[in-house]
Amino acid sequence: MTAGLNLVLVASAALFAVGVFAVVARRSAVVMLLGTQFMFMAGALAFVAFGRFGLGATHATAGAAMALFAGAVAVAELAVGLAMAALIYRDHRSFALDADRG
Amino acid sequence: MPLIGALPQPISSAPFVLLVYLVLILLIGSALASVLLRNTLYGIAAFAASMVLVALLYLAIAPFLLVAVQLLVFTTVSAALLIGLLRATTGIRASRVGRLSPEWIIGTAVSAAMVALLALVLGATSWPVVACCAVSESLGFALGNTYAVGLATLAVILGSAALGSGLLLLAPTLPSARGGGSATSRSPGGEGSRTVRR
Repeated sequence: MTAGLNLVLVASAALFAVGVFAVVARRSAVVMLLGTQFMFMAGALAFVAFGRFGLGATHATAGAAMALFAGAVAVAELAVGLAMAALIYRDHRSFALDADRG
Repeated sequence: MPLIGALPQPISSAPFVLLVYLVLILLIGSALASVLLRNTLYGIAAFAASMVLVALLYLAIAPFLLVAVQLLVFTTVSAALLIGLLRATTGIRASRVGRLSPEWIIGTAVSAAMVALLALVLGATSWPVVACCAVSESLGFALGNTYAVGLATLAVILGSAALGSGLLLLAPTLPSARGGGSATSRSPGGEGSRTVRR
């Protein structure tokens, strides 16, 4: 039994699917933001997996560098998204994002 | 010289592989829990657990610098932002789940199993000493030289995000159609901000 590129990529795809489910199916702005974080996390995981198992010795650190950048961008997106969620809560006393809320 | 260098081999040490499998299963489980739980605080806790599990996975397959940044910066900042949002909006209420409830027992059992497996892996292999110290210097060198422009861009993005979120929180809100909103306005005499509830 080994753990290689395929295993980590399957886990990355599953994590991305969880994020897509949160964004599409849930109404809470906070949970939607968590979903986008999971999608960023899945992308970073795929970068690291390719850097570790797929690219070879001369590019061993490229995937990790991309994961660092993706994580930082995810944190920045979370900061702005949470500020928007706070504004939504301040206005509607709820985190729910409904098109027909009125 | 080969084009991309020698391809690294997959992980084959049995306890190490078992740890990777368990971390991946727990990662997917905690991600699902964080989007399915009704209690937002529990969701945030599951999200933070996912971030820690990703850091543990990085410890197995990535340079140590990425592990440290993921664990100390990304996890801490994300959890702090989310809990800060909760404190500023709905507030944080104490848990109504008792200490000897099935949730606590299952959580304790999973944590104990993780710690035992970690101890087994640390005892049976030389991980993470071999994994951490060989590549982290080269990652730091690559970040400082190859990706210097990327790092500068990232600093601009992070600064812009901090500035933008601060401005968003300070901006006045429009009155809602249901009349339940509030607005923050600045007094003309420069006496600072005040909150007006409508």
